[in-house]
Amino acid sequence: MKNLFLLLSPRVWSLRNAFFKTSSGERKKAVIIGSLGLTFWTVIFILSSRILTYFQSIDVIGDLLAHHLLSMILLTFFSLLVFSNILIALSNLFLSADLELCHSSPSDIKLVFLSRWAYTIFDSSWMVVVFGLPVMMAYAYVFKPGLSFYFALFNTGIATAVIASGAGILFTMIMVNIFPAHRTRDILLLLAILLVAAIYIMIRILKPERLADPDAFFSVMQYMSALKSTDSPYIPTHWMTEILWEKLKGPDSGRYFFENVLLWSTAAAIIVVNLWTAGWIYLKGFSRSQEAKKRRAGKHILDLFIRLVRKPFKNDLASLIDKDIRIFFRDNTQWSQLFLLGALIIVYLFNFSVLPLEKSAIRLEFLQNILAFLNMGLAGFVLSAVSVRFAFPSVSAEGGAFWIIKSSPVSMGRLLFGKFILYIFPMTLLGETLIIVTNRLLHVDMTMMILSSVTMLFAFPAVIAMAIGFGAVYPRFKYENISQVATGFGGLMYMICSAGFMAAIILIESVPVRLFFLARLHGRELTVLQLGLIVLAFSSVFLLICLTIYKSMKIGLRALERYEKF
Amino acid sequence: MGIIELQNLTKNYKGLKAVDQINLSIREGIIFGFLGPNGAGKTTTIRMMAGILLPTSGKIIINGMDLDKDPSGVKRCCGFIPDRPFLYEKLTGMEFLRFISGLYGLNNPEAVKIRLMGLLEKFDLLSWKDELIEGYSHGMKQRLVMCGALVHDPKVLIVDEPMVGLDPKGARLVKDIFKEEAAKGKTIFMSTHSLETAQEVCHEMAIIQRGRIIARGTVDELIKYSGVDGTLENVFLKLTEEEGTGYEKSLSSS
Repeated sequence: MKNLFLLLSPRVWSLRNAFFKTSSGERKKAVIIGSLGLTFWTVIFILSSRILTYFQSIDVIGDLLAHHLLSMILLTFFSLLVFSNILIALSNLFLSADLELCHSSPSDIKLVFLSRWAYTIFDSSWMVVVFGLPVMMAYAYVFKPGLSFYFALFNTGIATAVIASGAGILFTMIMVNIFPAHRTRDILLLLAILLVAAIYIMIRILKPERLADPDAFFSVMQYMSALKSTDSPYIPTHWMTEILWEKLKGPDSGRYFFENVLLWSTAAAIIVVNLWTAGWIYLKGFSRSQEAKKRRAGKHILDLFIRLVRKPFKNDLASLIDKDIRIFFRDNTQWSQLFLLGALIIVYLFNFSVLPLEKSAIRLEFLQNILAFLNMGLAGFVLSAVSVRFAFPSVSAEGGAFWIIKSSPVSMGRLLFGKFILYIFPMTLLGETLIIVTNRLLHVDMTMMILSSVTMLFAFPAVIAMAIGFGAVYPRFKYENISQVATGFGGLMYMICSAGFMAAIILIESVPVRLFFLARLHGRELTVLQLGLIVLAFSSVFLLICLTIYKSMKIGLRALERYEKF
Repeated sequence: MGIIELQNLTKNYKGLKAVDQINLSIREGIIFGFLGPNGAGKTTTIRMMAGILLPTSGKIIINGMDLDKDPSGVKRCCGFIPDRPFLYEKLTGMEFLRFISGLYGLNNPEAVKIRLMGLLEKFDLLSWKDELIEGYSHGMKQRLVMCGALVHDPKVLIVDEPMVGLDPKGARLVKDIFKEEAAKGKTIFMSTHSLETAQEVCHEMAIIQRGRIIARGTVDELIKYSGVDGTLENVFLKLTEEEGTGYEKSLSSS
């Protein structure tokens, strides 16, 4: 036991140091992130409470809905936990740099395994706790259960987390013994992304919101049976749901004692099975994970594509772009995110194709145009979300090799310009496609089509410049995989600023759009004053865009020129 | 005026003086060794010379150009070899060298190809040129970095710990190439922990401790002025023990 604590101590001490030995800049960051987290937490709590209160107001099916929701939430969290454990276990058990030290020490292999399991549970569960807790607190707020609910939540939560992580780790250990760890990570990441994309599309197409709309069902019986269809009685979240539901609804008769025993005995069994399996195959897997990777397949298509892209640029810029494209398509963690992007676009367009516009009380022509106008903001937000995944990490993607650029005659400005050029064409193409296709789906008139597509044609470069600029201000040259870069403080700040920028554009343009449509509604000509206001509004938007591009690149440039921590 | 001039070069890190008022003038065509114990300020000095770190104060003048005023001009005539060969792992060796030649503005594809093939052959990497760098060993990466530093035929090579990770054959190869390049007129500014290497290849050297140059001269001069018999190792140990004993003054005046 003493040895196990010793193996856990580096993490404990690192956490302690992260809390108590931070600079004032890092403390400020922590305060901002903490405040945003608390706001997010409060929003989840309020939304969940309102939904549950609404359910309670519905006779007969209110409880059924709340029970069904609880079951769905727990199942979702459990699936997320299993999957994140699979990915995190790969790093913690097979790829971490400090594992060499642990394995070369005289520590028992099972203790090393157990300590890494503890790391993995912590790393994978905190997010679920953060997001799950406000939902559970909303249940407690609405149903007002006794203290036993909180105890049951703690007790069943831990058992379920152990089961989820045990299942994930077991799967990872087996995979690493079949493929080398680096290959396994690539395969799992690809599978994860494909799975998320498929689930995302499936959920949208199944339209779960229909459950809240009984009109969509042919009969009450059909609706009730849809709600009553529960999950399998053999999965741990079913046991957890039943235990928590009993505590929430009362009376607390201890009916679900058996489920409690099932949960804990399953958790205990999975610990024993994993320890036994680890003794057998963990070291073999770790040894395999140290093997070198082998080379890739042919590259002729890529060469041809790059030769075309290089043509318009000078040699230094062409070389930067050439290198970035090659690395993008060879790094599985980068290109595989294109699947998520594909799913996002399909769902985005699908949502517009099924909008029930005809059911609205507002005149169809105006509703279409209002939606098209607001859609500019939505498209901008989608593009920001895409940029935070691709353009924002592009400076960090230089990684440890950043010294090559820094010691070369290429200026940091040229580097940022290269990144900007690389992303501006595909991103603008994507954004314009979204705007034009959704406008077509909404059947908007030509004025709105031109207004939205031209506005966004100018706005997208600013969104991308912001992504590059923020990426340069908050670079992270040391990472395990590039997708982590987007999830840091800089990514968050970028998303906030980008959303603010889009909101400002919509707000300013709402003035001319309103004037124009009111004039058309009343069949009047625009007055000189109104025309002046319209010109002023569009000029302001143009100025805002130019200023955003200039300032973003400028602050990014200054930050990179002064950057020394690599 | 030397091809490399460091004038009152200083670098502070949060109150700590990593490099403290260094003055050096290095003439063209020599291999200059930069020695010192761990944490003495060698890598910080070298990274400032390569344009990676900004000095707190002082000047770096290379080939007559001020690094602060004309960074691109200075970098164009320098090649930098860092101690740890972090590279773009998803490029092949050949693609990496082509990328470097693009950064340094080499425009003639045929001439570049001939140059790159020659360098790859020289550094024994020709058979690996189309493999991804992630499959290279540490020594191979180090040799590839050296190829990259020589692609544009720089006048000055700035090298941080060149022998780390090289096997004896690789180390011999690198020493021979450095001597050959110096004979052609290149200036090589090299930090090293290996006193044997310094004694074998360096024409002149300086010893830095706690951010200050404490001695400078040829091996013979250092031996003579330290008053120690025998090897450079003895001289180094003696000088770094007796920090700030006035050697710098006496040697530079000699």
